[in-house]
Amino acid sequence: MNIRLDNLTVNFDDRFQLDEINWQLDDTQHWVITGANGSGKSALAAVLAGAGDTLSGTLEGLPPKVGLVSFEAQAELIERERKKDDADIMDVISEGTPVREILCEGGRNPELISQLVTMFKLDSLLDRAFRKLSTGESRKVMLIRALASEPDLLVLDEPFDGLDADTLKMLQQYLAGLVESVPMVLVLNRFDEFPDFITHIAYVDHGRLQHQIDRHDSKAYNELYQLLHLKTTDLEVPGADPETAIPRLDPTQPLVRLNKINITYDGHRIIDSLDWTIERNQHWQLSGPNGSGKTGLLSLITGDHPQCYVNDIFVFGFQRGNGESIWQIKQFIGYVSTALQWEYKVGTGLRNVIISGFYDSIGLYTKATDRQKKIADEWLALLGMSDRADTPFNKLSYGDQRLLLIARAMVKHPPLLILDEPCLGLDDMNRQLVLALIEKICAGSETSVLYVNHHAEDRIKGIDNYLKLEKREPAAG
Amino acid sequence: MSNNYFNTLPLREQLEQLGKCRFMSIDEFSDGVEALKGKKMVVIGCGAQGLNQGLNLRDSGLDVSYALRAEAIAEKRQSWKNATENGFVVGTYEELIPTADVVLNLTPDKQHTSVVNAVMPLMKEGACLSYSHGFNIVEEGMKIREDLTVIMVAPKCPGSEVRAEYVRGFGVPTLIAVHEDNDPKGEGLALAKAYAVGTGGHKAGVLMSSFIAEVKSDLMGEQTILCGMLQTGSLLCFDKMVEEGIDPGYASKLIQYGWETITEALKYGGVTNMLDRLSNPAKIKAYDLSEELKQIMRPLYNKHQDDIIDGTFSRTMMEDWANDDKNLLGWRAETAETAFEKTPAGDVEISEQEYFDNGILMVAMVKAGVELAFETMTAAGIIADSAYYESLHETPLIANTIARKKLYEMNATISDTAEYGCYLYNHACLPLLADFMKDIKTDVIGKGLDLEDTGVDNARLIEVNTALRSHPVEAIGAVLRGHMADMKKIV
Repeated sequence: MNIRLDNLTVNFDDRFQLDEINWQLDDTQHWVITGANGSGKSALAAVLAGAGDTLSGTLEGLPPKVGLVSFEAQAELIERERKKDDADIMDVISEGTPVREILCEGGRNPELISQLVTMFKLDSLLDRAFRKLSTGESRKVMLIRALASEPDLLVLDEPFDGLDADTLKMLQQYLAGLVESVPMVLVLNRFDEFPDFITHIAYVDHGRLQHQIDRHDSKAYNELYQLLHLKTTDLEVPGADPETAIPRLDPTQPLVRLNKINITYDGHRIIDSLDWTIERNQHWQLSGPNGSGKTGLLSLITGDHPQCYVNDIFVFGFQRGNGESIWQIKQFIGYVSTALQWEYKVGTGLRNVIISGFYDSIGLYTKATDRQKKIADEWLALLGMSDRADTPFNKLSYGDQRLLLIARAMVKHPPLLILDEPCLGLDDMNRQLVLALIEKICAGSETSVLYVNHHAEDRIKGIDNYLKLEKREPAAG
Repeated sequence: MSNNYFNTLPLREQLEQLGKCRFMSIDEFSDGVEALKGKKMVVIGCGAQGLNQGLNLRDSGLDVSYALRAEAIAEKRQSWKNATENGFVVGTYEELIPTADVVLNLTPDKQHTSVVNAVMPLMKEGACLSYSHGFNIVEEGMKIREDLTVIMVAPKCPGSEVRAEYVRGFGVPTLIAVHEDNDPKGEGLALAKAYAVGTGGHKAGVLMSSFIAEVKSDLMGEQTILCGMLQTGSLLCFDKMVEEGIDPGYASKLIQYGWETITEALKYGGVTNMLDRLSNPAKIKAYDLSEELKQIMRPLYNKHQDDIIDGTFSRTMMEDWANDDKNLLGWRAETAETAFEKTPAGDVEISEQEYFDNGILMVAMVKAGVELAFETMTAAGIIADSAYYESLHETPLIANTIARKKLYEMNATISDTAEYGCYLYNHACLPLLADFMKDIKTDVIGKGLDLEDTGVDNARLIEVNTALRSHPVEAIGAVLRGHMADMKKIV
C-alpha cells in the first residue's frame, strides 16, 4: 500500500473544504492526525475512506478495504436505523436491527466477531436493537465492525472517546497487536492518548495539512504538543492582579499622541515630523522596511529612546519631560521584541520571568506575592509549560522563550501591548504558536495591540489601523 | 596644595569616620526621588559615569543637564556629542552652574581640584555639590564653601553597567556619604538617598559610609587585592608556566580567563566556596600556599594601609601627577611589554573546572590577597562591611576586566588612583615573591596535581575547612550576600 495525495482539494457538501493536501502514507507507517476542533482532521481521515468530492489534485493508492470508525459513520448508521423505524406509518412497533445483524453485515469474519464481542463485553447486548444502544455501546459496535472487516487500512477517528478505562486499555493493546498486519490512521487530539506504535503525526489547521512530523523528532513533537495545547485548551487568558492594578486612564484621552515627531542620528533624520495617535481599543499594525525607524518610533512611546525628551509626546496621561519616570510610562505597556529576548539573558525560572512583567524588569528583583505566583502559574498552564515552572529561562528553546515573553508582557493586562516583529526568527511551527497565543490574547482582553511587521501585507485578524513607514535616504551632501 | 583633611582630625574623629559603614534597608528609600524633584541637577563631565548616571536620573523624572568646558562645546568633543545626541541641555559652566540646585562632579579624580575651583564660585547659595569619590575632599583637603552641602554617591560599577542594570529594572550597589563639615541645612542624607534612588542603586543595596571610610578602604582594596595582586599574580604565574615548558598560549588563556572563573565562585560563596571547587588534596595545597603567601606579603599589605592612612600614598601619587605621571606612564609602558601581555590566549578549550584544577596557585593568591586586605583594613579601623566590599566583593569586577582586556587595558580603564597603587604594589610584590616562586612547579599552576590517590587525612581536612569557614571575611560575607540573596539568586 502506498497512498498518495497530491495537491488534493476536497469539498464536503460545501460545509467544509480541505485544501491542497500533499501527503504520502505507506504500510510501514502508523499515523495520528491531529488538530483543533474544526481544523479538518476528521475530514482528512474521511478522505481515506473515500468521502468528499475531489475538486482538484489526485488521490492514488487507496486500498480496497478501509475500515472506518468515526462519529460521522456512527451517526450515519444510527440515522439509517432510525429511518427503518416506520412505526409511525405501519402502526407496528419496530424493534430495529439487532446488534448481531449489524455486526455481521457485509460478510465479516464470524469468529473474529465473536472474539471481539467478548473482548468488548457486548455479549449481553447482541439481541438488543442497535438504535437503542448508548453512544458508548454503539461506538463499540462500530469498532468491532471495522476490526472484523479485516481491512487493508484502519482509519479510527477518536476511537478512544467515551470508552471506559478497561475497554480503552484493551483496545489499545489490541491495536498494538495489529501493528505488523495493518497500517493505521488515528484521529486524536490528546497527546497522552497517542499509542506508542504511532510513527508519524499529521497536524491539520484551517483545512490544510500544516505539519508532518516524525514521532522520533522530539523537538518538533514537543512544539506540536504545545501548539495543539494552545489551540484546544479551554483555558482562558488569566486575569490581572488586583493588588498591582495599573492606574486608571482618562477614557476621553488617547493612549498615545505623537506630535510632529523627529528622530535624528548623526544629523540624519530617520523620522520626520510624524503625527500618530493611538486611541483606546484600537489595534494597529506598523510596517516598513529595515531602517525606516519602526523600533525608534516604538521606543519613543516606551520611553527607551533618549530623544523622547526632545519631542512632543503624550503617553498614558503624561506629557513627556515633566518629571515623570519611565517606570510610570512602562507600567501601561507590555512589550515583546527580538531585542528584548536577546537582553533577557537570565537563568531565572519561568514563573519568575512571567512575574517580572508586573515590574517591567528583566529578571525579578522584588519578592512576588502569592497572588502573582498563582497568575503566573495560570499562564504557564495556558502555554502548556506547567511542568517547567522552575526551569531556567535560558534553557528554553527560542520559540518557547518568545511565548513566555508574550505572557510576561500580558501578565499585567496593559492598555497597550507592543509586539515588535514577534515572529521574527521563528520557524513555521513556532510562528503559529505565537500567533495562536496572540489571537487568544486579542479575544480575551481589552488590550490594544500594536503589531509591528516588515511586511504590510502580513496582516493579523482584528487589526484594522495601519501605519507604514518609508525609509528616508540620507540627503545628498 | 591644601592639607590632608584626614590628618587634621583628632584620632577619636578619625576612628569614628573610618568605622562608618551600614547596609541600608530598602524601607529607608520610601521617599523615592522626592528630595530632588523639580531641582536642577547639572552634571559636570560626560564620560561613562556622567552620561549613564544622567540618563538614569532623567528617566527617574529628574531635571538633568550637562555643563561642559567652553572648548569642549566649541570643538564638539565626544562629551558634547554624548550629551546632545541624548537630548540633554548642554551649556558652559557659566551658563548652567549658577542655576544648579545640585552639581554632580563626575570628572576623573585628577581633575577634581581644578573643576571644583572653577565651579565653586559659580554655585548658588545653599546648593549641593556631589562627588562619586572622596579623594579630593579627604586626601587633597579641598575646602568647600560653608553654605554648600557636600555629598557622595558612588555606584560600585562601571558607567555602562550603571545604565544597563537600571534599564533592566534593577541597579548597582551604591555607596553614599555626607561630608559632615558641609551639611549646613541637614539635607545631605535626603539628597544622597534620592540620588541613589534616581540611579536605581537602592534596589541593589546602598551602603551608608563616610568620605573617609570610602577613600581609605577604596584605595586599599584597589591597590592590593583588586589590581595589584591580580597583576602581580598574572605575571608570576605566566612566567613560571612558560619556564616549566607549558604552552604559552595555554598559559596566557589560563590566566586571562582563570581569574574571572575562580572569582565567580568567590562572588557566589566567598573564599570557602572558591576553595571548595578544588579536590580535597588541591584544597589543602591551596590553603598551605595561601598561608605561606600571607606570611610573606603581610608586611607589604600593612605598609600600603599605613601609607594610605597617613597620607603618604596620596602625597607621592600627587607628586607624580605634578611630574606629568612619569612613574605611572613609565610603568604602564612596561606592562605592555611583559610576556603575558604580549602572548595572546591560545585557541585551546579550557573547561570551567580546569581553571580551578590547573590554577591552584591562582586560587591561593586570591585567597591570600582577599584575606590580607580584609584583615589589614579592619585592623586599621575600617569596619568589616566596608572591608568586605572593597576586597572580596570587587575582585570579580577587576577579574572580569582582565578577562576582557588583559593587564594593560585594565590599568588604563581603572581610576588614576587605582593604577598608581597597582604600580606601587606590583613593584614591591614581584621581588617579594621571587623566592617563593622558585619552589613552585606545574602541579599548582598549569597542570594540576594529577594524583593517583586523591585521599586526604580527615583531621587535616577538617582543620583546613574550619580555618576557611571561620575567617571573619566569611562571616560578614554571609551576612552581606544574604541581604542581596533574593535578588542575586533571581538574577
